[in-house]
Amino acid sequence: MSESAVSRPSTGTISGKSIVLDNVTKQYPGQSSPAVDGVTLEIPAGKIVMLVGPSGCGKTTTLKMINRLIEPTKGRIVLGDEDVTSIGGDELRRRIGYVIQAGGLFPHMTVAANIAIVPKMLGWDKGRIAARVDELLELVSLDPAQYRDRFPKELSGGQQQRVGVARALAADPPVLLMDEPFGAVDPITRQRLQDELLSIQEEVQKTIVIVTHDFDEAVKLGDWIVVFTEGARIVQYDTPERILAEPANAFVENFIGSGAGLKQLTLRRVGEVTLADAVTVHAGEAAASAIEKMERADHNHVVVLDDRERPVQWLSRRQLARLDTLTDVPEDKLPVVGQGATLNDALDTMLVSSAGAALVTGRRDVFLGVITVETVMDAITAARASAAASIGGPVGTNSDAIPTVAPDAPTSAGSSMSQAHDD
Amino acid sequence: MADFLGSRFDQIAFASWQHLSLVVQCLLLATAIAIAVAAVVYRSRPLSSVANTVTAIGLTIPAFALVGLLVAPFGFGVPPALAVVTFFAILPILRNAIVGLTGINQSVVESARGLGMSRSSIFLRVELPLAWPVILGGIRVSAQMVMGIAAIAAYVLGPGLGGFIFSGLSRLGGANSLESVLTGVIGVVVLALLLDLLLVGLGRLTTPRGIRV
Amino acid sequence: MTDAAVEARVTTVGGAATWKGLIVQPAAIAAVLAGFLVWLNLAPLTASERSTLDPASLWGSTLEHLSLTFVAASIVLVIAIPLGVLLTRPALRRLRGPVLFIANFGQAAPAIGMIVLLAMLITSGYWASIVALVIYAALPVLRNTVIGILGVDSSLVEAGRGMGMSAASVLFRVELPLAVPVMLAGIRTALVLLVGAAALAAFVNGGGLGLLITTGVNLYLFSVLISGALLIALLALTIDWLGRVVEHVARPKGL
Repeated sequence: MSESAVSRPSTGTISGKSIVLDNVTKQYPGQSSPAVDGVTLEIPAGKIVMLVGPSGCGKTTTLKMINRLIEPTKGRIVLGDEDVTSIGGDELRRRIGYVIQAGGLFPHMTVAANIAIVPKMLGWDKGRIAARVDELLELVSLDPAQYRDRFPKELSGGQQQRVGVARALAADPPVLLMDEPFGAVDPITRQRLQDELLSIQEEVQKTIVIVTHDFDEAVKLGDWIVVFTEGARIVQYDTPERILAEPANAFVENFIGSGAGLKQLTLRRVGEVTLADAVTVHAGEAAASAIEKMERADHNHVVVLDDRERPVQWLSRRQLARLDTLTDVPEDKLPVVGQGATLNDALDTMLVSSAGAALVTGRRDVFLGVITVETVMDAITAARASAAASIGGPVGTNSDAIPTVAPDAPTSAGSSMSQAHDD
Repeated sequence: MADFLGSRFDQIAFASWQHLSLVVQCLLLATAIAIAVAAVVYRSRPLSSVANTVTAIGLTIPAFALVGLLVAPFGFGVPPALAVVTFFAILPILRNAIVGLTGINQSVVESARGLGMSRSSIFLRVELPLAWPVILGGIRVSAQMVMGIAAIAAYVLGPGLGGFIFSGLSRLGGANSLESVLTGVIGVVVLALLLDLLLVGLGRLTTPRGIRV
Repeated sequence: MTDAAVEARVTTVGGAATWKGLIVQPAAIAAVLAGFLVWLNLAPLTASERSTLDPASLWGSTLEHLSLTFVAASIVLVIAIPLGVLLTRPALRRLRGPVLFIANFGQAAPAIGMIVLLAMLITSGYWASIVALVIYAALPVLRNTVIGILGVDSSLVEAGRGMGMSAASVLFRVELPLAVPVMLAGIRTALVLLVGAAALAAFVNGGGLGLLITTGVNLYLFSVLISGALLIALLALTIDWLGRVVEHVARPKGL
């Protein structure tokens, strides 16, 4: 899945709309400090923005104020170029997809009925709804004929979550809000769902806002990441690259946790770096001619391809010397990565294989080239340099905070709390 | 009303005491029977489901019908009242005892066996204490239910506050009939509340601290 | 609340009867009823016993009994379900405890006492019985409506609201359908209680099969007494069975 996510050309045009939170505050009655304090946040159209922070920091409250499940006490919310602060909450929510943990599917309705809820409320006719249900099930990789009439309890956790995404996309809303969407599934399923979300996004180009407490997930999915601390105070709003390369302060550094360098590896994909050449031969050729080719290119290994250009063996000079003719019997533990794999995956494969390098394949597993540890090092150095150089991006501040976050951010948060206490 | 209460204070106090005493004694008996039956059936799924069916059907039998039926073998007076009240008291306790005992985490029982505890000491020292809050819940439901049933038993000359209701009924419209019925009704409600409070207190005292909510 | 939860759990466990259970119960009821009818025809009854146990009058009493039960049950449903729904709405949340407490009182009060008390206020024995029965049987329906709705996973309510469903639409399309099994169990409990308590209507000339028991006791006619008790018990079991069938059929698919 992750392979196709990258290799697939960006088919969709941006169908998302930008969101602006303008000085939005949520003050619960009877609480001394506001849960969300004067947040101003620009969310660019067609991008995935991750809201991260420790639990209780107000990230979920911020998310729920976008579709007004929680009514803001103060401030404006602008969707596209329309101020939606005072339109009916139900009407607004029909225009915004919403996904919660474990999907939140209604257990007494079939998969199709679950997906059809919003289109029905919008008064679509039956034929159009049925067609849309099938289309969405295809989009989330579930066979409509097989899954349409099942009940949620007949689906695995990951499948339920996919139906949850399909349901949120039913009426083709420009904006998708997701509250810890992958929190309730096992790590392997979570990874698959994340990859799938990225590939869906490739196609639909919505504006997606996701709340998570998992920083790795934020790095993996986000075009932009907002790091919050208590009272939904924005500590840093930046690209994953820049947050990893230049955390705004010790809080962000702590939040990233150890291994920022390794995490950067997850941001780049094998397909994005320059691959090294390799000597290729085809199964059926004589070993001698392979040795000759190898020597001509001054290499120490040859890659044996089958008749569909897929790598089957990776042989050293010594191994070749013992052979007569090359076969297409696949070698065990051949170090192969897809071009959609992250550099992190590639590095892992290299470390395990004895070669200190890995073979890269593209569509239909066709051989593309070799990736080495040096390639990875170069890519990371370049990424750090470009992240440090790039500036600018959408605005994200708290009303009374200094935009560039300074070490005194907690102090200003403290003073705003005492002000808020006055009412 | 005040006159009625004043002039019959001793009689009311005595009837209340009888009522409470009947209910409490039957509850004790019922708890013992219910736990004994549950101890026999809870480890067998078929036996448990038979016991559950019997309790479910037993609870559908109208109390008044059973009171009537039991006059034939027991005659009038205390015996049929005792039998009816005990019978109904057993049902919710048995039901909850089975739920409580089967609901215990099996790993706890297994670790008790791993420690070398005998079957009976596991039941008495591990399973019963863990199931106790649920069983006590059943006793509370029973207590409230049989308070009213004991009142009906007065129809076959059983002891307690029900007598005031039936004597009011027999003089319907006559002097003090309303007072008499009210005394019976309110007396039963007050006793039910009182007993429930006692049972809640008992629950606090007897629930192992580690599983208190 | 904890006992109630345990009760609700047990009722659903017992109520989710297998088809086997649903077939055994009516078969047993039919067998006992057949035995009773055979006995009625063959037993050497006295003239007064025979006139009281005349099939036409037995049938009449049964209909009266059913009328008491179902009229009271309908009133209970009309009052207790909307009230239960209201008590789960955020605006009325604070009233939940007090109202359930009062309803608990209604059930703790002895049914026979309530019937006699109301007979003093209402001249018609039938309607006095109905009012007393409604007070007596309201609690299970009210309580199970509240428990059933509160038992619906709050994330589902949020999912519904998040999709733009109105509060009313979430109530009718998500909360109530999912609460149906628990609510039906409460209604069945109420019906069974009503069949039993309706027997007490005989004390205030409210009619019903209870008349056989009072007649039997007053005139020392044990065959009449036992006939009454048996028929009431069979009626209760039949209604319990019907309730189980309805629960089985009306359970939302997918649960």
